[in-house]
Amino acid sequence: MSSRSTALWVVVGVLLVLAAVPPLLVPVYARLTPSLWGFPFYFWFQFLLVIWAALLTSGAYVLAKAAFRRDRAARAAAKGDVK
Amino acid sequence: MSGVAFGVFLFLFLVVTVMGFAAARWRRAKSMANLDEWGLGGRGFGTFISWFLIGGDIYTAYTFIAVPATLFAGSVTGFFAVPYTIIIYPLIFVFLPRLWSVSHRHGYVTPADFVEGRYGSKGLGLAIALTGIVATMPYIALQLVGMQVVLDVMGLKPHSDNWFMKDLPLFIAFVILAAYTYSSGLRAPALIAFVKDTLIYLVIIVAVIYIPHHLGGWGHVFDVTKQSFDAANQKAVAAGGKPTSGIYPSTGVSQWAYASLALGSALALFMYPHSITGVLAAKDRSVIRRNAALLPAYSFLLGLLALLGFVAVAAGIKIDQLGGNAQLSIPQLMENEFPSWFAGVAYAAIVIGALVPAAIMSIAAANLFTRNIYKAYLRTSATPEEEAKVAKLVSLVVKIGALVFVLAMNKTFAINLQLLGGVWILQTFPAIVAGLYTRWFHRWALLLGWAAAMVYGTVVAYQTPGTTQKHFGGSVHNFPGTQTGIYIAVTAFILNVLVAVILTAVFRALKVPDGQDRTVADDYVADLGDVGVEAELNPLT
Repeated sequence: MSSRSTALWVVVGVLLVLAAVPPLLVPVYARLTPSLWGFPFYFWFQFLLVIWAALLTSGAYVLAKAAFRRDRAARAAAKGDVK
Repeated sequence: MSGVAFGVFLFLFLVVTVMGFAAARWRRAKSMANLDEWGLGGRGFGTFISWFLIGGDIYTAYTFIAVPATLFAGSVTGFFAVPYTIIIYPLIFVFLPRLWSVSHRHGYVTPADFVEGRYGSKGLGLAIALTGIVATMPYIALQLVGMQVVLDVMGLKPHSDNWFMKDLPLFIAFVILAAYTYSSGLRAPALIAFVKDTLIYLVIIVAVIYIPHHLGGWGHVFDVTKQSFDAANQKAVAAGGKPTSGIYPSTGVSQWAYASLALGSALALFMYPHSITGVLAAKDRSVIRRNAALLPAYSFLLGLLALLGFVAVAAGIKIDQLGGNAQLSIPQLMENEFPSWFAGVAYAAIVIGALVPAAIMSIAAANLFTRNIYKAYLRTSATPEEEAKVAKLVSLVVKIGALVFVLAMNKTFAINLQLLGGVWILQTFPAIVAGLYTRWFHRWALLLGWAAAMVYGTVVAYQTPGTTQKHFGGSVHNFPGTQTGIYIAVTAFILNVLVAVILTAVFRALKVPDGQDRTVADDYVADLGDVGVEAELNPLT
């Protein structure tokens, strides 16, 4: 694994943690105000979290794809050396 | 119910039936007589189909009925389905590509196949397989409960006291489902899932725009619901009880319950054999990660759907009118508020929403039985043809079993078992997920951790009283030594991991023989095109 792909994987991990952890911090968002279009805060905030998580996971997908490709190339090169 | 609604319903049901049988010819393979074809649809589904298939797995008819019903009934934690389905996707992103890779290289069809190969332990594989089967059975039964609820509201209930005659429509729908699953395998639910989700999206979008508008807007819906729950609480306190209703978890205790339910359910979901079936059917590794980014669209929908429970309150539907069954609230709301032709579309959406997951679940359970019980213990020499034959028959048995379960037995029993199923299936997590990364755990330590957690979870669930029943009354129980209730599955999971870690250290120190690992590090990152990971058929673009 090259050092450049390691950095990419770290970013992927951070993005995923930022997507998965906020929904668990219930005390932070368990309140009714301010409301938006009639929706209490508690509800619209969780809808917002859905979009937030989708965006972060999409970003993680793009980065992971690049990192995975780089690792594959590195593995193929390593195998070539052995032969 | 009007003739128009029934006509629309029947038409859509027939369309789906034709598609189910025609699916056998879709993306046709040279032979259907092996589990890769029948049980995994040729392992060739791209992003688009996988999105529908995995979505069809997670968002079942029971979800559509039960989630809004809990909000309708005033449960403060009912909305946990939304954070739960947010947390799932990062988890899928991390774990499942590795499972996909190793399964493709070794031809694993079930999670128990993987565990057996990784730890060289048929016994551990059997434990995983049995857990999967017993957790899936009540899940299938609940899909039937979802269908039954809709057929009830439609008035499709012949007047008879005979248990068979009483549920004849349900019986017919299920026989048809069983027949096309038998002949088409996983291709049938994959194809029908398009129709299912199109209808569900249509119905929910119309419902969340049309009905609240009709009732005076979303703000009004929340206000009326809050007033209604406050009044119920005052009544409960006046009668000497505790206030239990609310629109959100406002106390620390309920917030713990909410977060633990979301986390525990998310960890458990992809241990269910039917979810893994959906993922293993993907054609390459990146399909899974791309779907993890695309599937949250369903979470948004689920949140809106859940709120229909409040809409039903605001529309003046009272639990007493429903004979005390909150699950009738959403179909009743549709019956009351929609024009009859669109009510027909809505009913069809829910019923078809039950058929898709019921088919995938019965296929997954059949795969488990065939690979990890039949081939592992009963006939080790079984050929691929024989495996497919056995799996097809077992899928019928599983469905008939679920049907008898729902028709002849008490419905509460199925719901209790479903609750237990969630607790049980999470206990396969350490063996499967840790196994994707490390061989540090000892096979017997994992087995004993699993056993301890299964017993603990079952006993504690039994001891949990509910509002109307003494046992299996809920999925939340006080964490040992505290007054804070958390999801039983999570507590059992912690016990499971503790036992597995401690005993692994002990067994390693005592040099208890370890099983043989048939996988190598490279297997976990293999992708389409690598050695041993050929496409099974020309993937359609």
